[in-house]
Amino acid sequence: MEAYIKGIGIVSPQKTFKTHDFLSEAVEYNTNTLRCIEPVYTEFLNPILARRMGRTVKMGIAASSVCLKDAGVEIPDAIITGTALGCHEDTEKFLMAIIDNDEQFLTPTSFMQSTHNTVSSQIALQLKCMNYNFTYVHKNFSFESALLDGLMTLADTDAHNVLVGGHDEMTDKHFRITARAGHWKEEKTATMDIIHSKTPGSVSGEGAAFFMLSNQEGNNDYAKLRALRMFYAPESETEVHNKILELLKEKNMTTADIDCVVYGISGDVRYDQKYYNLKNALFSDTTATYFKHLCGEYQTSGCFALWLSSMILKTQTIPKSTLIGKNNKKQFKNVLIYNNYMGAYHSVYLLSQC
Amino acid sequence: MDALMDKLKEEIILQLNLEGVKKEDIDNDSPLFGEGLGLDSIDALELIVLLEKNYGIKIANPADGKKIFQSIRTMAAYIQENKK
Repeated sequence: MEAYIKGIGIVSPQKTFKTHDFLSEAVEYNTNTLRCIEPVYTEFLNPILARRMGRTVKMGIAASSVCLKDAGVEIPDAIITGTALGCHEDTEKFLMAIIDNDEQFLTPTSFMQSTHNTVSSQIALQLKCMNYNFTYVHKNFSFESALLDGLMTLADTDAHNVLVGGHDEMTDKHFRITARAGHWKEEKTATMDIIHSKTPGSVSGEGAAFFMLSNQEGNNDYAKLRALRMFYAPESETEVHNKILELLKEKNMTTADIDCVVYGISGDVRYDQKYYNLKNALFSDTTATYFKHLCGEYQTSGCFALWLSSMILKTQTIPKSTLIGKNNKKQFKNVLIYNNYMGAYHSVYLLSQC
Repeated sequence: MDALMDKLKEEIILQLNLEGVKKEDIDNDSPLFGEGLGLDSIDALELIVLLEKNYGIKIANPADGKKIFQSIRTMAAYIQENKK
C-alpha cells in the first residue's frame, strides 16, 4: 500500500500555515508547553458557525481547507482523522458546567462539539461531502491508524483522493493533570536546547495537519508514502531495529538507501536514548533530523513529522533548525521517520521522492 | 426596561459567544432568529437555559418560546412579568 501526497495543510506552533516558506526562521520558545500559531479563521469559517467551535475544530477546518486547495481537490473520496484527545476544550467546558452548576442548567453546545469526530464531520458538513467519514481515537496511534485506513481505502476501494488528518490540542487543565503524571518538564526550557536536556519530561505541544493522499501520481506531489508501521511496547530496542530492517528489506532497500532519518527526540531523558541507539546501530552515517522542539510532544505529532519529511523531499532541503549534526547529502530520495511516545508507542514511516 | 434590555444583550453575547458583536449592534426590536441576529434552534436552547439560570424563569410551554424570543424587547418584557 502506497500513496502520493498531493496536498498539505498544517497549523502548528511554527509559521507553517498557508506558506511555502520551509522553516527558514524557526520560532523559538522558552516554555514547557507550546501552543499553535492560529490563522485568522474568518477566511475559512462562517462566523455564525465558528462561534460554537473550539480551537481544535477551527484549526482542523483551516488546515483541511488549505490541504484541499493545495491538492486541487474539491470533494475527497473519504475523510479520515485521528485524534487522541478529540475536542478537549469543549469536553472540559461541559464537564465543568456540570460541576459548577450542580448538574443544572446544562446547555447543548459544548457537549455537541466535544465528540472526537467533530472535526471530520464539520469538514464533511462544510463540503457537503457524503463520502466515507471516519475518526480514529487510538491514543498515540490515532494519526497512524487514520493514515493506515487512508492507505487501505486507496488500495481496496474506488477512492482516488483521501483526506487524512491528525489533530490534538493542549488545554491548561489537561496540561496540569498530565504534568502531575510526569509527562512534562517542570522547568521552562528553551525549545532549541531540548536536544541537550538531561531532565525527565518533554515540552508539550499541539497541532492539526491534513494530507491529501492519492493513488494517482500527479505533477506536483510532495512525496510518496511507501510504508507505515506501528508497534506497541516492543520488548527491546533490538526488536525495533529488526522491524525497521525487515521493512527496508520488504522494499528492497538497505539502511544505505535512507538519505535522512527524522527522529522524534523530545528532550525527555527517559526515552531519547532509544533514538540515539537506533542512530548508532543502523543510521550512523545518515543525515539526522528531529522535530519535537518545533511542535512539542503530543499524541498525533506524527503528522508534523510527515509534513517535515514531505517538505524535505519536495524542496530537497533540510531546515537548519531540524538538523542533528551535519548534513552531507545533496539529494534526498528516501526519508524514514521514527517516532515514539513515552517509550511505548513506536511508529515508522517510509517516504520517497516523487 | 432599558437597563434590562442592555443587560440581556450582554448576557446573550456572552452565552452564545457572538464574536465581534457589540450590544450596540443588536436592535431592541429586530428578530433574534432568522434574519436579525441569525440565531438557530441550538441558540434557542441556550436562551431557555439563560432565562432559567440568570432569572429563575422556566418556560413551561415550549410553544411560547417563539413569542418570547422574538426580540430583545419581548424577552425583557417576559422577564419583567415573570421574574421570581
